[in-house]
Parts: sequence; C-alpha cells; structure tokens
Amino acid sequence: MRLGRVRPGATPASAAPLLCRWDLDKTYLRSEFDSLRSLLRTAFERAEDKVEVPGVAELIRALKAAAERHGRKALVYFVSASPPQIGAAIRKKLALDGVPYDGIVFKDQLAHLKRGKLRNLREHVGFKLAELLRGRLAAPPGAPELLFGDDWELDSLIYSLYADVVAGRLPPARLAPILRRIRVDPRLLDEILALAGRAAGGARVARIFINLERRSPPATFRLFGPRVVPTFNYFQTAAVVGADGYLDAEDVARVGRVLFEGAGYTARALENSLADLVRRGVLEPAAADALGARLRATGVLPPGDEKGARWRRVLGALGRLRRRRRTGAGRAGETPALDYDAILDRAAAASGRSS
Amino acid sequence: MPTIAVDAMGGDHAPAAVVKGVAQVSLATDIECLLVGDERRIQSVLEGVSYNPEHIAILHAADAIDMAEEPREAIKRRDASLVVGVRAVAEGRAQAFVSAGNTSACVLACAKHFRLLRGVRRAALASVYPRQREQRGQDPLALLLDVGATVRCEAEELVHFALMGSAYARRVSKVASPAVGLLNMGSEETKGGEVLAEAHRRLRQLPVVNFVGNVEGNDLVRGRADVIVCEGLLGNVALKLIEGISEVLDDLTNQAAERRVAWRLGLRLLARGIEGLRALTDYTQYGGSPILGFEHLCIKCHGRSSARAIGNAVKVAAKAVRDHVPREIADALAAVR
Repeated sequence: MRLGRVRPGATPASAAPLLCRWDLDKTYLRSEFDSLRSLLRTAFERAEDKVEVPGVAELIRALKAAAERHGRKALVYFVSASPPQIGAAIRKKLALDGVPYDGIVFKDQLAHLKRGKLRNLREHVGFKLAELLRGRLAAPPGAPELLFGDDWELDSLIYSLYADVVAGRLPPARLAPILRRIRVDPRLLDEILALAGRAAGGARVARIFINLERRSPPATFRLFGPRVVPTFNYFQTAAVVGADGYLDAEDVARVGRVLFEGAGYTARALENSLADLVRRGVLEPAAADALGARLRATGVLPPGDEKGARWRRVLGALGRLRRRRRTGAGRAGETPALDYDAILDRAAAASGRSS
Repeated sequence: MPTIAVDAMGGDHAPAAVVKGVAQVSLATDIECLLVGDERRIQSVLEGVSYNPEHIAILHAADAIDMAEEPREAIKRRDASLVVGVRAVAEGRAQAFVSAGNTSACVLACAKHFRLLRGVRRAALASVYPRQREQRGQDPLALLLDVGATVRCEAEELVHFALMGSAYARRVSKVASPAVGLLNMGSEETKGGEVLAEAHRRLRQLPVVNFVGNVEGNDLVRGRADVIVCEGLLGNVALKLIEGISEVLDDLTNQAAERRVAWRLGLRLLARGIEGLRALTDYTQYGGSPILGFEHLCIKCHGRSSARAIGNAVKVAAKAVRDHVPREIADALAAVR
C-alpha cells in the first residue's frame, strides 16, 4: 500500500540502490557505557547476551524486503566506533537476529592506544566521517541514503556534515575549520578533506534518524533542520521511512507488531507515537491517517475512532500547516543551510566546555 | 495502565509546569496521560523537555478558565480545558482527572459531568496534609474533608464524608482501619450544635468506621485521627491555617539566618532536621486533593503547583484508579444503607 511521496514500486529495476548506514551502539544495540564496569561488560559480552533496540532488526529486514519487492536493492552498512576486537560477537549477533548487511566497519582503537593518542579514543567525528565518505565513493552514484544514529554522541552532527558534503553544500574549505574546531585527529583531517573533495555533489541523504535513547528533547535537534528526525522508537522511524516511500504500510505494521508482541508496547503507545510525529510536523497528517487506517485494520493500532475525531484532526492539521509555514519546518529536501557555528556553540555549552 | 486526563492550562504556572510534570511521569511510569489544552502551547513545551511520547496523548481545547473567574459562568464554556478534560473522563477516554486550575470551577464541572455515587448526597474535596505520628508505622499524612466543596453540611453528609475518607485512606494510604475524627470545638459529644452532635451519634453507631470521637483544632496536626471530617467552610479555614503557619515558620527561619551569624551557624547544624521538616510540609509531594463522591476521581492540585506536584498528583490519581477507590467508597456506602 502506497504511503509516501516516493513509491518504491515506481522505481525501475536498474535504479540506484538505497544506502542505509547504521551506527551500532545505542542505535542497533542497547549497549551500556555509563560506567567503566558496564563498558568492560559490553566489551566482553557474548553475542547471545547482547540486546538490540526493539524493532531495529525488523526495520532493517523490512528495508531490504521492501526495496527488493519494488525492484531495487537496499544496502545496509554498519559504521561503529567500537574496536574490531568485538567484531566477531557483533557479526554473530547480527546473524542471530537474522539481519542481512553488506558491510561493517570498526574503529581501530588499538592503533590510537599504541600512538598514545588517548583523546582520539573518544573522538569519533573524524573516524566516522572518513568511513562514510569512503563508503560513498565506493557506492553507485546517485544512490539515496538513509542514516541512523543516536543521541549519545555527535551522530546528528557527523551525519549532517556528511550529508552537506556529498550534496555539494559544504566544500572542503568550509569543512576544514569546522573539523578543526571539533579537534578532529589532525592525521585524519587532510584525508577527510581529500575524500570530501572527491565525494562532493550529486548524492542525497534523504533522512538522518536519531534514536532518542537518552530521551533528549526533540527541540535539541532543531538546528539540524528537518532532514534530521529524532525518533523515540523504531515504530516512529519506520512510519517516517514509510511516508518517505521506502517502506510499505505492511512493513511499518510488522515493525509495530514486533514492538507490540515482543517489547511490551501497547497499541495505544504506538498510536501516541504516531500522533507525536504529526504534532512535531515530521509526518504529514494525511500520511499518518493513511498509515493509521492500515495499522488499525491489522490490529497494530487500537480500533475505532471516537465521534468528532476526524474534525479534530482536520482542525489540528490546519493549525500545524500554519505553524509549519511560520517556522519553515518541512520536508527533508527543504533543509536550509545549517549554521554549524551555532550547532557547535550549543554542543560546547551542553558539554560544559569551550571548544 | 490507567489513563489520566490532565488539565494542561490550569494553574499559576500552566502550561509549562503541568506539561513538564506529565513529561516526568511519562519517563518514570507506564501511566498514560491525556494532556488537555492548547495543542500548540503544549507541544512547544513538550519538545523542549525529555519525555516519552508513548505515554502522552493531547486533546486540544482552545479555551482555558482563569483562576479568578466566576466558576458557574466559566464552566459553561464547552471548549475550556477543564471542562473538556472532565468530559473526557465522563465519556470514558480517561479514568481520572487532574487539575491545578480554578478549584470551584473544577468541583462544579465534576458535579455537572460526573454522576454521584449511589447514596452520596454531596461530594467532598479532601486534602492530604502532614501531621505528627503518635504510633510507630503510622502514616505521616492525614486526610481532611471537606475543605471547600460543600460549605455547609448536614449530619448525614458528614457521615458520608467519614465513609468516603475512610475508603480513600484504606486504598491509597493502605491504612487497614483508619481512625476517623469529627472536627469540633470540644471532645464532648454534645459540643458544636445539633448537626455535629447528630453526626457524632451516627458515626459512633457505624461499625464500618473506626470512629475516635471529636477532635479539636490542635489534634489536626497530631496523629489522633487518620481522617478528619468537617464541613467545607471549617475545613478550608483549618487547611489554610496549617499552610499559613508552615509558611510563616519558613520565613522566620530564613529571617533568623540573616539576622545573626550565631543563629545562622545554629541553623546550619540543624540543617538536616530542617530539611526533613520542610520535606514533610512540602505540599508538592502529596499530589493534591481528591474530590470524592463521584463515579470518577478528580485530583485538584494547588494553584501554585510545580512540575513535581503535578507529577505526584498524576501518580496518586493512577494509584486511586488502580485501587478502585470509587468502588471502595460505593461499597462502604452500600454497607450502611
């Protein structure tokens, strides 16, 4: 069932694949890094003991299946700042979850330790940006991308920088001072700028999804524009991906069902999650209504509708439209030029240090 | 999990304090909250704080009742958040209502849209307040009712209040057999005029109420009774007196600290004790006053309620719903009919 503006079925078989890039910890896995003890436990955890964020595995499977159903490929890559030493357990975990993927990259933390660069152990911007750009250069030209991260570190910043670079909106000359301000590993800086120069232009990051694992206020991400979508659970993510045309209603329903049947979510909780997206202006009321009707029919959302609800929705939608016009919020394609200075100022203020 | 409708536009610090309180509840519990009020303003507060959208729904209400408005006229406005919220509970969209808005309008809206429990003639606004504990394990909080819903009462209504307060204390405070006192100007059963004497006589004869007789003003803050019954006018004066004394004591402590260095040092030494006292007299942790006697529950919060106070009121409302307080009251009333 068609949900959004880009219908996968309309894509010719020869179309460029959809690239889906995932962070691992806190985005795919429910990793605990809050204390040294939990960090060590995570490092030595067996695949069987690792726990994924509810719905994430189903969403990845759905992305692959929906693309295939509509005659294109979805390529799934993981970029993780975890050391490669835990790679075996991660690969086994992905296999256990039945998650098909096309590549996985880890950060060689041991090399930083050997060089005595302890600060670089926690500096992930340079590493991730370089890996994303490398991946872009190896990918078919014109392939749209969906990026998935979380609110623990700087995923929204890294992904936005990457999106602007590949869109040709952030040339190396403007990227360099930003990376210096973030104090990216100087040994990586020249390499990133060279990669950025080669990858610039012609590519499109359709959406950047941030899993609000820390329950960060959504307003925190306003500076990143509508391309960045903070979501509280993978049902919300699936709904937006569906509205963007990369999933069908059945796929969204499957993600919802996983949360409903396996993660203690209620139908009401899913309905509230959907309404939250509409209120935040992330999802068009019409798309939410179409999806909602389908999900009600499959029992994922509560049945029935109270008297007058349709009118309330219409009035609410009008109000939201007016608000969106005022605030300039809208579709991902309308992302205005980002003010990276303001973003970094706020990040510095939030972490209580001057950058 | 119960759904609690919350008047987002009621109170001196609405909607910010109310929405933040609900947001805190959404992160810490599974209680579903239905925020009633101006969707745009609610959403604008919500997006700036941590919250869990899975437990929050918004019911738009374009209008709001001011704290100083004439209540009878105010509740005629069908789009006012307080009225929409009460109606949502009456229609079954939520199981209880919480508001920090205009108290009289809240009581009147409940009276208009909720049905009284069978046998109840008048609803009562009950107030939870801190008191001294006389026995080990005694609840640090007592229940005073009525504190303003029914200004003048007859003996039968006071008896109903005793049954309702007793049922609430049994369910919410988990006091197995709450001691019930009748607020009066003396301990003798004939004191206070005909109504109080008659109420005393009838309460003494009720086997389902653990009646401890008349209690005087000074007993209010002692542990003699878990539930104290009185007419609304008297209850309201008593409650405001307790609040006033608490505030004056707080002011005097602060002034003493400013006046002399030696006193300041002394207060420093007593700091933990004073903090304990402040915690006990801090209304924000009690979660507001239940309006009892209707088929549905309403928790009326202090107009100055902070986010914490609202959060606690929502938790108390959910607890009362889970513990079937209205049914407990109905059963208690049925037992004496």
